[in-house]
Amino acid sequence: MAAAPSTAAPIKLPGGVSPLRAGQGHSFLWRRLHSLTGIVPVGLFLIEHFFSNAYATKGPGAYTKQVAFLSSFPFVVTLELLGIWLPILYHSLYGFYIWYRGDSNIRDYPWAGNWMYAAQRWTGAIAFFYMGWHTWHLRFSGVHILTYPAAAFGKVQLEFHSPAAVAFYAVGIFCASWHFAYGLWLFAAKWGITQGPVSRRRWGYVCILIALVFMAVGAVTMHSFMTTPQQPVEPAASELDSFTMR
Amino acid sequence: MPEKPVLFKIRRQASPAQKAYWEEFELAWHAGMNVISSLMEIARNPLTRDGKATTPITYDSNCLEEVCGSCAMLINGKARMACSALVAKLEQPIRLEALSKFPIIRDLSVDRSVLFENLKRVKAWVPIDGTYDLGAGPRLTMEDQEQAYPLSRCISCCCCMEVCPQFNRQTGFVGAATISQVRLFNTHPTGAALKRQRLQALMGDGGIQECGYAQNCVEVCPKDIPLTRSISEVGGAVMKQAIGDLLRR
Ligand code: HEM
Ligand code: SF4
Ligand code: SF4
Ligand code: FES
Repeated sequence: MAAAPSTAAPIKLPGGVSPLRAGQGHSFLWRRLHSLTGIVPVGLFLIEHFFSNAYATKGPGAYTKQVAFLSSFPFVVTLELLGIWLPILYHSLYGFYIWYRGDSNIRDYPWAGNWMYAAQRWTGAIAFFYMGWHTWHLRFSGVHILTYPAAAFGKVQLEFHSPAAVAFYAVGIFCASWHFAYGLWLFAAKWGITQGPVSRRRWGYVCILIALVFMAVGAVTMHSFMTTPQQPVEPAASELDSFTMR
Repeated sequence: MPEKPVLFKIRRQASPAQKAYWEEFELAWHAGMNVISSLMEIARNPLTRDGKATTPITYDSNCLEEVCGSCAMLINGKARMACSALVAKLEQPIRLEALSKFPIIRDLSVDRSVLFENLKRVKAWVPIDGTYDLGAGPRLTMEDQEQAYPLSRCISCCCCMEVCPQFNRQTGFVGAATISQVRLFNTHPTGAALKRQRLQALMGDGGIQECGYAQNCVEVCPKDIPLTRSISEVGGAVMKQAIGDLLRR
């Protein structure tokens, strides 16, 4: 028979780690939600975002069409808010909280998994500041792309006008790709999908491939923006007519 | 083989509340010496390197063959068992410190009762007590035995917790050893009677969710216990139960 929980207080010396609080608190829910939001919806959005931007490789016309298509969704701002902004904000802020509470120790224990643990935090943080810059420039200031899709291509091109900005974009894409791919690996390990060392290793190879695909798509997309002649950023008069009535 | 004297730097602390300080010791080298045998030598003749009389060093040890789990300490900054740490294979001076995440009782001896407390909270036992003879239990299949045996080799040394970046005072994380014991007792046909309660316990604050999968635990474990496999398996079982409970409620 199950014994009653111990009532005897354990010997208490200062400085110890407290034992498991069985049956108490909600951190399980919040922590697993953090894990899940990394895949759905934030990871899905990342896939969509890389895919949509890759239309740049087909020229400004195709790119404008894709932007117009996304902007044409009903309840587009609500979808953005609930499907992208809030989940990213939650995953990021809770991610910083997780980081703050952990004690990275790669100096004492420089093992591969421990390096990846640290890298998951740094790539997340860099992606966070990158996304702040990126969305401020392209979504929240200047010409409103949702209203004037034809201005989108040119507006992105303006982002690449200094080598430092190009480097910043490259680093941002690298970190987001890495963080997402290793996140997929972590998710599978933590949620009991890849239980044995062999399946974890094999899934690891797939995740490396996923990271490389993301990085390659990002690089090719950037290249298209940088090699196409600068497109107009001001909304065309005809567009103004058709959109101001909305 | 270094035939020169062996140098030790040992971090000492007279009581939980007192300040720590370092002392150096020099021992004559001889073949096969390990860290525990060196501490025994110092106890026989407690003189520091510069010849001052001091107290013998307090440390835990028992089996001297890496099966009791009591002698874990930081050797050159890394958590490991002192009785299996051969001096010939260590860089000198050999630095000895108490484990850093457990309260120091004295010198190298720490209070690791948190692991015992955690094991109690997940009911890491097979419930066989009753008011009458319950008879023989079901047999473990060969396959289950092969899974269970490696897990049963845990010596409660707490190395896996010491090296875990998530095991600290802010998280109060339960640590890999306890999670692995949940898997062991849930595998046992009679122990499985408490399966739901064990998984439920691991959902509390400081539970399995705190693991960041840095995999240090499995690297350090002196008994080569497949800890990451345990974390994944139990992680999956916990999720299944959590979602199932949500739908059954
Ligand atoms: C590009 C957007 C992002 C995506 C697609 C993403 C995706 C993921 C995924 C799938 C995981 C794995 C889940 C897990 O380990 O439990 C993860 C983990 C993590 N993410 Fe993100 N993430 C993003 C941005 C961020 C940001 C901005 C931060 C802020 C620092 C962050 C911090 C973390 C941390 C700390 C972990 C590891 C949790 C752990 O080790 O337990 N992530 N992320
Ligand atoms: S996998 Fe990493 S975070 Fe999880 S228990 Fe092991 S050492 Fe700690
Ligand atoms: S799991 Fe390994 S490292 Fe952890 S307490 Fe048991 S024997 Fe020690
Ligand atoms: S003395 Fe028993 S494990 Fe070292």
